[in-house]
Amino acid sequence: MKPTTTLCLSLVALCGLAGAALADDAYPSRQVDYIIPFGPGGESDITARLQQPYFKDKFGQDLVVSYKPGGGGAVGWSQLNSMEGDGHTIMGVNLPHIIVKPQTGDVGFKTDDITNVYMFHFTPDALIVNADSDMKTLEDYVAYAKENPKRLTASGSGKGTANHLAQVRFDELAGIETTYVPFQGTGAAVTALLGNQVKGEWGYTTVGATQGDAVRMLAVAMDERHPAFPDVPTFKELGYDIVSGAYRGIAVPKSTPEDVRQKLSDMIAEINADEKFQKQMIDGGFALLDVGYGAAMDEFMATKSDEYIAAGKSAGLID
Amino acid sequence: MLDYFIAAFSPLNVVLALAGVAAGTIIGSIPGLTATMAVAVLVPFTFAMAPESALILMGAIYTGAIYGGAYAAILLNTPGTPSAIATTFDGYPMAKRGDGDLAVTIACLSSVVGGLVGALALLFLAPPLARAALAFGPVEYFWLAIFGLSLISALSAGDFLKGMIAACFGLILAMIGISEISAEVRLTFGSPTLLGGIEVISALIGLYCVPVLIDLVATPERHLEAGDNPRGFRLSEAIATLSRNLWNLARSSAIGTMVGALPGAGGSIAGLVAYSEARRSARDRQTYGKGNPGGVIATESANNATVGGGLIPTLVLGIPGTPPDAVILGALLVQGVRTGPTLFESGASIVYTFIFGLLLATILMLPVGLFIGRFAYGAIVRAPKAALVPVVAFMTIIGAYAIRNSISDVGVMVVLGVIGWIAANRGFAVSPIVLGLILGRIAEQGFVQSWTIGAAIEDLPGQFFGRPLSIAIIALTAITFIYPFVPRLRAGRGPADDATAAVLRRQPANAAAKLREVLALGAFGAIAAVVIAQMAGRTAEAAVFPLTAAIAMAVFVLGALAKLAITGIVTEESAPGSFVRRAMVPLVMLVTVGLIPHLGFGASCALMGLALYVVADHQRQSLAQHALAVASVLMVIVGATYAFRVFLSVPLPGGALF
Repeated sequence: MKPTTTLCLSLVALCGLAGAALADDAYPSRQVDYIIPFGPGGESDITARLQQPYFKDKFGQDLVVSYKPGGGGAVGWSQLNSMEGDGHTIMGVNLPHIIVKPQTGDVGFKTDDITNVYMFHFTPDALIVNADSDMKTLEDYVAYAKENPKRLTASGSGKGTANHLAQVRFDELAGIETTYVPFQGTGAAVTALLGNQVKGEWGYTTVGATQGDAVRMLAVAMDERHPAFPDVPTFKELGYDIVSGAYRGIAVPKSTPEDVRQKLSDMIAEINADEKFQKQMIDGGFALLDVGYGAAMDEFMATKSDEYIAAGKSAGLID
Repeated sequence: MLDYFIAAFSPLNVVLALAGVAAGTIIGSIPGLTATMAVAVLVPFTFAMAPESALILMGAIYTGAIYGGAYAAILLNTPGTPSAIATTFDGYPMAKRGDGDLAVTIACLSSVVGGLVGALALLFLAPPLARAALAFGPVEYFWLAIFGLSLISALSAGDFLKGMIAACFGLILAMIGISEISAEVRLTFGSPTLLGGIEVISALIGLYCVPVLIDLVATPERHLEAGDNPRGFRLSEAIATLSRNLWNLARSSAIGTMVGALPGAGGSIAGLVAYSEARRSARDRQTYGKGNPGGVIATESANNATVGGGLIPTLVLGIPGTPPDAVILGALLVQGVRTGPTLFESGASIVYTFIFGLLLATILMLPVGLFIGRFAYGAIVRAPKAALVPVVAFMTIIGAYAIRNSISDVGVMVVLGVIGWIAANRGFAVSPIVLGLILGRIAEQGFVQSWTIGAAIEDLPGQFFGRPLSIAIIALTAITFIYPFVPRLRAGRGPADDATAAVLRRQPANAAAKLREVLALGAFGAIAAVVIAQMAGRTAEAAVFPLTAAIAMAVFVLGALAKLAITGIVTEESAPGSFVRRAMVPLVMLVTVGLIPHLGFGASCALMGLALYVVADHQRQSLAQHALAVASVLMVIVGATYAFRVFLSVPLPGGALF
């Protein structure tokens, strides 16, 4: 090899290294595309929109939300790893979806294919009845279900979802048998409740926040009472060990370097720590969560996988 | 109340309303760019605004986009938004015979009237209408979807059995992918691209627009008849037409408001129901589907009435009435405005300022819509065919892509376009396929939910047939379905006033025609058989609907074969002109789909533009003229690619070039 060629090659290599180092230091160096694998208007979209202004304020780059709906998220997640992995493409992830769906058949991705970087909030499950319902407490609900096996109908968003698995788990713990009626999305499930088409709804605390006095939450599936609803008991207080809901976070393509993953995780944590952001989330009925990249995430996913797969099996969704 | 009125008319809000309507109209006119997307793109910009102004801007862009959908429906036979499907039924035949300008003006006037009715209902009747909407349960949605399907008997293009087969095919297409309510993967044949199902809007673009492109290149004839001298807006003619259709206008606006207020229905169904009712009750029923302005009036007034109607449950119940409302709701939440039962009391100023702003935007739509409409008409009519074809083909590709940023949706769009063209050519109308595709999911969900509830309360018959609202919808369905048959039943024959019967040649069949007919029917029979086989071993809730559709399809295929054997009559369309040119259109488009990930979106589409220019060119003209036309085609393609990337944040693939 001629000296000049060697020189050129080493120069090129040096530039490359310098470029890579610069890119890392500068992340995010341009707008970050935030793909929501659902349509606009749902909880995933709303919470992404809530993060949007804080991201711009704190890190100086735009966070651009776009949508890739289809197959209850499967279309987006199955394409995640084919996207560019430099931290400028990130995607929303939802539990139990990414755990339960791959168990039910070939949906184009496996749970382990997804590189979760941060889980930033969850919408706790809540059992909700119409405000004019005779069922005033969770006890009334259980009593009605015991007297009328299967006749108690409860709506919820989709099958194999947080709502559905909560219904299955609660029925088991309470020793009752109710009928779950799946609807497409929370909005449709709430409509059915408000129109008295069903007797109850397995929804989220967010429903309580939007519907106010029109509905009554019988219990919420949290460790402690939700700050926005101090009067609503938790299932735990009432003797049913359920802490669950739909968990939402952010994932990146597999090719994303370790340091970028960690940096992104720290950034999302910083937004979560902002008091104004926290207040907006809590007022909306959401519950904040901080599971960052690394061991914490691995442990969180392992625990949740066990829970959801067990619930999915008793719901007959997983063979 | 006066304060709110004055607040709505602040200079800033007037400017926002004007800009919103104009932007919405333009976005809505591009097939594939929906009102939902138009509103969603806007959300980040509204963060910095006062909530009232943000709402007015979003409401204006929404109402404009719903109206803008009419242009492509009338001028290209392609519903720019699903709300405009029924606009194609009469709008496109009007344009074909040279009344495109009149149809656009009528659409504008009807949209303004419908929009005003919807907004006024929102202002005065919101709480009672919201309560009425809640009376609609899963059963009612099921029957409403069946009511929409009853239009098939009117849209079957001269062959009722073939119309039913096409509708079953549409129902089956709707079942592909992961089912929302049974969570099962159906009919994807292991393909990950089909997991998300057939995207309705890209399917609409394929089924309606691609066949138009295919036929356009075959002959040198003009795309649309054009009047020799400019006739302005033809406003007085349009007003005269509207005044002859006052009852139609009022009823369609009311239907649009009410259906819009149903959270599970939306604009596409409102337009179809209003069209169906207009046609059924019209004295000149025979001319519906052949360019009767009444069809355009019904659809366009109904779909713009859904804007105000859809905001009723959004603001009163906190439940989005239509997909764009879901985005508005989310944007409001980010602003810290809580919709729902408390909003009308606690946030009254925002609500009323917004409603007045919406009224203002709707009124502004009259001048804005007329001018943009005039421009759109002029552009489509005057454009030489060789330039029109590549530009429209480009629009279909970018539109199909933008809905969920998916290149495979574009492929599906082109393939469905070819299927649509072949089916139409063999006498299977496209509209029943579309009805099946759109209404299939609503019907299935309503059916499975009603069945679940009915089984739980141990009263299935009562659940399906015992509720007063259901009975009313069933009765209306029966009337609509049987009506077309009545005169002929007396004479002992099939449907008489079929919408598009005149288009088809009923051939005394020769052997070749009979063979073609048997092959076409056989193809649909084979599809039915595959679906039936695929449903074996599924849970009841996942299998019941596809199985019903497939069995019905098989029965109709056997019926059609029997009819062929007995009567020997074949219905098919003639396809004059060059077959090679025809085949080149989908071929070039499919190659483009394959090239996009490698060369980049802009570069591949520019190449496609060049290829389709050659395919569509029938004119003898100088090299300079050609160069000018090609240059403008390329400018549109490259310009629109950048505009989509920069202004609409659509992540179009960059590839190796651009």
